[in-house]
Amino acid sequence: MLSSPRRVSLLLLAGFGVLLIIMTVVAVRFSRDVSLVQQTDNLRDNLETIAGSISERLDSGYPDPYGFIELTARTQKKKEHYSLVLQDASGALLAPSFVVDKGLDIKDILYFDKDDDHFMATVWGQRCFVVVYDFPDRPLTLLGLYDNKYIFDDIVVSEKLFIILISAFFLILLLLSWFWLIPAIERMYDRKDKAEIELSVARELQQKAVTRDFTKEPWFDIHAELRAMKDVGGDIYLCGMVGNKLCFIVGDVSDKGTAASFMMFLLSSFIRSRVQVGLPLDRLMGEVNRIICDNPDYGMFCTLFIGAVNPDTLEMEYCNAGHTRALVDGEFLEQDPQLIAGIDRGFVWHTQKVMLHHGSRLLLYTDGVTEARNEERAFFGEKRLREWMRSRPEGISCREDCSALLEAVGAFRGKAHQNDDIAIMCIKIL
Amino acid sequence: MKTVITERDGRIVIAVEGELDTDTCARFQEDIASLSGREGLEAELDLSKLDYISSKALRVLIALRQKIVSAGGTMKVTSVTPTVREIFDMTGLSGSLLG
Repeated sequence: MLSSPRRVSLLLLAGFGVLLIIMTVVAVRFSRDVSLVQQTDNLRDNLETIAGSISERLDSGYPDPYGFIELTARTQKKKEHYSLVLQDASGALLAPSFVVDKGLDIKDILYFDKDDDHFMATVWGQRCFVVVYDFPDRPLTLLGLYDNKYIFDDIVVSEKLFIILISAFFLILLLLSWFWLIPAIERMYDRKDKAEIELSVARELQQKAVTRDFTKEPWFDIHAELRAMKDVGGDIYLCGMVGNKLCFIVGDVSDKGTAASFMMFLLSSFIRSRVQVGLPLDRLMGEVNRIICDNPDYGMFCTLFIGAVNPDTLEMEYCNAGHTRALVDGEFLEQDPQLIAGIDRGFVWHTQKVMLHHGSRLLLYTDGVTEARNEERAFFGEKRLREWMRSRPEGISCREDCSALLEAVGAFRGKAHQNDDIAIMCIKIL
Repeated sequence: MKTVITERDGRIVIAVEGELDTDTCARFQEDIASLSGREGLEAELDLSKLDYISSKALRVLIALRQKIVSAGGTMKVTSVTPTVREIFDMTGLSGSLLG
């Protein structure tokens, strides 16, 4: 099925082809050089036949005509040029005059040019008589009536040639557009379509890469929010139950865009499946790291914080790969600075442990929060974040905490634009 | 943010001044675009006048280092401000960047 630009082009081409055929037929059939209108040695021959129709004019003071040449235009509406060569016996050129049938005045004849060896006259689609006045002792001869010519300044082009040239020009134009311009436009739209499809796929992947349904268990409350900077974000968070433990991950992926979103989804699926096996967190980090390193084409690195809370002991085990410091009960968590994932394939992470208690509140986030800047170029920073957390009243759900923090960052930022993705995860041990 | 690239004894010294964040990052990438693809480049990064680097911009540095290293070269940060040093430490990159 042809695309609509191509269909239009085909229609135009067909229409033009038909027009061309018609014009050629007309040009051939009514071609001027098919027959000379009149050629005679004695222009007097036909005088009587036109005497009647031009008598009025003649009455108005024109001298007796010597003879006439009838020129008939092809169509009523066409402007035509004739070249006449009239000579007398001595070879001197004569200027014919025109008398036009159907009541047009002589001044309506456009022009009458002398050009080297012939006179050219323009006739508006009317029957026209060239009246040649008698000169005593000078028999006149019509040497010939030449092909119609179209005059462009000094260039004289034959009518048929003119039609052919114009047709060829438009034909070339149509062929060019068919084979080059339209495919180019189609390619442009394809690219745009492809880009849009890519973007929507990327968005879908990114949506599926993060947890949307937060597990509900009687001993904790958890919620997370993501605010991407552009259409497709690069922050990731996951949480779920592994056995009886609550497991959660927050991360910041470099290189946004469609390729990164695929990697994110891949990593997300991988983590979700591996975590179920009950893998130790540091081993999990190693595996994630290897996947990223083994796909260097994506040029990706990733900060990650993985944690798991045991409901019986309320001990949290965690593994940090270059991620921001978590806030636990209003204090920054002791996180050994370890390498971000995706740099060194052989790097080995270690885990750390911290004891939580009933009522403990955790805040995990990506640096989009702390590195948010306002119009004065000041940073939101870790201190402000800690103060914010300390100021939170008791009994607020994690969902409300997330919204409140997002609002606080937004309020701080003011009119300045968001410069990075923001991910926030709030956990409360009940 | 200003990037000054000079050649000194066959080494390339890239001095970055000001701040490297989301906005200036793109410009920095343009400035160093000429360096990628050069074989066996020995690059030094002078960050003594760099006041701040965002995590995004850090990734650009890492990516740059990886590109240079994979083309058979080396890249080392020769001097760094305390703020930026802290960021390197937190991401565990001090080892590889500072050498």
